Amino acid sequence: MTDVITMDHIVKVFPPNVVALNNVSVTFREGEIHAVVGENGAGKTTLMKILYGMQEANSGKIFLKGSQVHFNKPGEAISSGIGMVHQEILLIPEYSVWENVILGVEPTGYFGKIDQQKSRQKVKQQIDEFQFHLDPDARVEEISVAARQKVEILKLLYRNVSFLILDEPTSVLTPQEIPQLFDELRRMRDNGRTIVYISHHLEEVLELSDRITVLRKGSKIDTIESSAATKKSLAQMMVGREVIFESIRKTARTGNIVFDMSGLDYSFPQKRPILQNIQIQVREGEIVGIAGVEGNGQLEVVRIIMGLLKPDHGKIEIQGKDFTHASILERREKISFVSQDRANMGSCLNATISENIIMTHHRLNKRFSKWNGIVLNKSQIRIFSEEVRKSFDIQMDSTEAEIKSLSGGNQQKTILGRELSLDTPFLLLDQPTRGLDVGSIEYVHEHILQMRDDAHAILLLSADLEELFRLSDRILVLHRGKIVANLKTEQTSIEEVGYLMLEGGAQ
Amino acid sequence: MNVIIGLINGMIAAATPILLAALGGTLTYYAGIFNIAMEGMMLSGAFFAVLGSYYFHSWIVGILFGVLGAILIALIFIFFSISLKVDEFVTGVGLNLFAVGLTTYLLRQIFKVKGAFTNPGIVSIPKIHIPLIEDIPVLGKILSGQNLVVYIALIATIFITWLVFKSRFGLRLRAAGYNSTCLDTSGVSSNAIRFRSLILCGILCGFAGSFLSLGYVTLFTENMSAGRGWISLAAVILVSGNPVGIALVSLLFGFADGLGLFLQQSLPSQFTSMVPYVATLMALFVYSIRKKKKEAIS
Repeated sequence: MTDVITMDHIVKVFPPNVVALNNVSVTFREGEIHAVVGENGAGKTTLMKILYGMQEANSGKIFLKGSQVHFNKPGEAISSGIGMVHQEILLIPEYSVWENVILGVEPTGYFGKIDQQKSRQKVKQQIDEFQFHLDPDARVEEISVAARQKVEILKLLYRNVSFLILDEPTSVLTPQEIPQLFDELRRMRDNGRTIVYISHHLEEVLELSDRITVLRKGSKIDTIESSAATKKSLAQMMVGREVIFESIRKTARTGNIVFDMSGLDYSFPQKRPILQNIQIQVREGEIVGIAGVEGNGQLEVVRIIMGLLKPDHGKIEIQGKDFTHASILERREKISFVSQDRANMGSCLNATISENIIMTHHRLNKRFSKWNGIVLNKSQIRIFSEEVRKSFDIQMDSTEAEIKSLSGGNQQKTILGRELSLDTPFLLLDQPTRGLDVGSIEYVHEHILQMRDDAHAILLLSADLEELFRLSDRILVLHRGKIVANLKTEQTSIEEVGYLMLEGGAQ
Repeated sequence: MNVIIGLINGMIAAATPILLAALGGTLTYYAGIFNIAMEGMMLSGAFFAVLGSYYFHSWIVGILFGVLGAILIALIFIFFSISLKVDEFVTGVGLNLFAVGLTTYLLRQIFKVKGAFTNPGIVSIPKIHIPLIEDIPVLGKILSGQNLVVYIALIATIFITWLVFKSRFGLRLRAAGYNSTCLDTSGVSSNAIRFRSLILCGILCGFAGSFLSLGYVTLFTENMSAGRGWISLAAVILVSGNPVGIALVSLLFGFADGLGLFLQQSLPSQFTSMVPYVATLMALFVYSIRKKKKEAIS
């Protein structure tokens, strides 16, 4: 088999110093299905976006059939025969299938009149060639997500793309639709097209692909023949065998149940259920971690706890009181919340640091206002801001500067400082150390553990398994909207949790 | 009988500028632009049409100038909303006010008059008499003998329908409005499509303006578009951009206009001239309810 595309020593650094790809070299051969696997943040999608011209690499070369190429935008990649189907489907729902397919390269007659007959015929022909079972005249908004995905693929095939990149195509499909997609992909491969398949579902990858490239934390671990791989060996390569940091937890002295979520269901209107029968209990002096691949329902759990989404069924209790329908302010009296979305939910970037620090505090604590809450008490705010700044070691010129003038790490520390000093019985921490450097992470971890030792109940969501193992007393694994495991940290391993995250509890 | 024929012809005449501007508005509506500058484009068109017709003693040059005058406003709109990405609504309001100021200023500077400029030197757009049809009793007086621009508006309705729903430009135009990211990733610049839709809107509003000052009457008065651009916007929104629907709604507004004049015999004119605007308000009310229902479903 001949090599189609070679990516040579690709380096990508996201400012200021996040290394997304570290000298990754991969070769894709003609007529193969090549899977790229790795955890979230391993750099799979970034690598493919660089190939597709959506992102610029800091260094490294790309060769197409031996000659060096450089795509500035996806359009250039497409005209060289490289196409990508993204996770989010980009079609025009109001248009029919054939209209979507031809958009941009329409066959026309006189005066730019669209040659409907010819267009439909060409699209129909292509549908038949790949046995896509689509009605070219159906409106896209009326067909299933799986069918829409086929339209996306068809759109690329129509543009004579011979190198197809699919970014987690099964994430939007139901289990029944997956084998059909695989058949279609195999058929395309047998027609001489190359398919790159990004995924973290090991079973799918082993079933479908010819070769597998494993990425971990921006580095390529290896490219192997699928026939030589097993699920276990892949999982080990993906998660890595690094030694876990020694746990700095003292033995737990847990008390009463503080947070109790039971029987919680949530489904997005007209779509498949997102959360099913979620049970989470957190006791005083306990940290419960939630592990899971992104997009398995974490976001919804957080939003439901904070009152931003209404669950279909289920109950939330805090210290024995029903909070299922409580207002957000009522919740905030009991819940400290660190959002993973620092810029939008966690802070107001255009406000000053001290304004950000007293947010929520100013509603709950009379200390920060006078005249029955009409006027803010500036001197108290200044004193409090200084306290937070000192105890969380926030590097800043003045508390009156805008928070956006701080580095990401210091912004995060400001938010943590605000939330942890709320001193609520329950803490919800969603990726609390995302974007922090190693030193700051250490610091934040100590604070979180101190809160636990002071008998707070803490629910921690993190994409970083090492962090979960370091902090949590128990780990819940969320897979496709269900909690598939409830494990004591001492009695499990990163490998086991990693496996459960990817495959659920069925095996 | 003559009263009815007069009423119908009045309705057609009043509907024509609204129809033309609304056809322009429908193009930008499909392109996903919240374009409210038809009023300004039309007013500018009306002024420059008089200017061209008066100085060159030709209605053809008049229309040409009218179209260019409207395109001028369209170009400013493009510069602000597409190039600088300023809010479309603010740009539109600003341009509508600008058009009033500009035409009033130029009227006073060039023609040295206040309020209105009328002169035998202004050549108006001719009426078209169609042989044979002209001789049909009753109908002949409606189908024939209308101003040239009325026929242009009729042709434009058919052409715009074809353009939006049958041509390549139309497919891309609607795609720009439905999902511009999708169009961009399909290799077509949605901004280029929006640019063209605004220029076409300018041309159509230029015809509408020319008709106002060289067809409906033969003079220019300050702010002579008198809210017709806004009514055309309401027409577009009311029928969600369908050109044939726009033609019907324009006729309805034209009828309201004519009705206003007719009612003046019994009611104070201040009330009767409200009729078209009340109709517009009602149209927008219906639109907002429909929009809410649509959002509730999705």
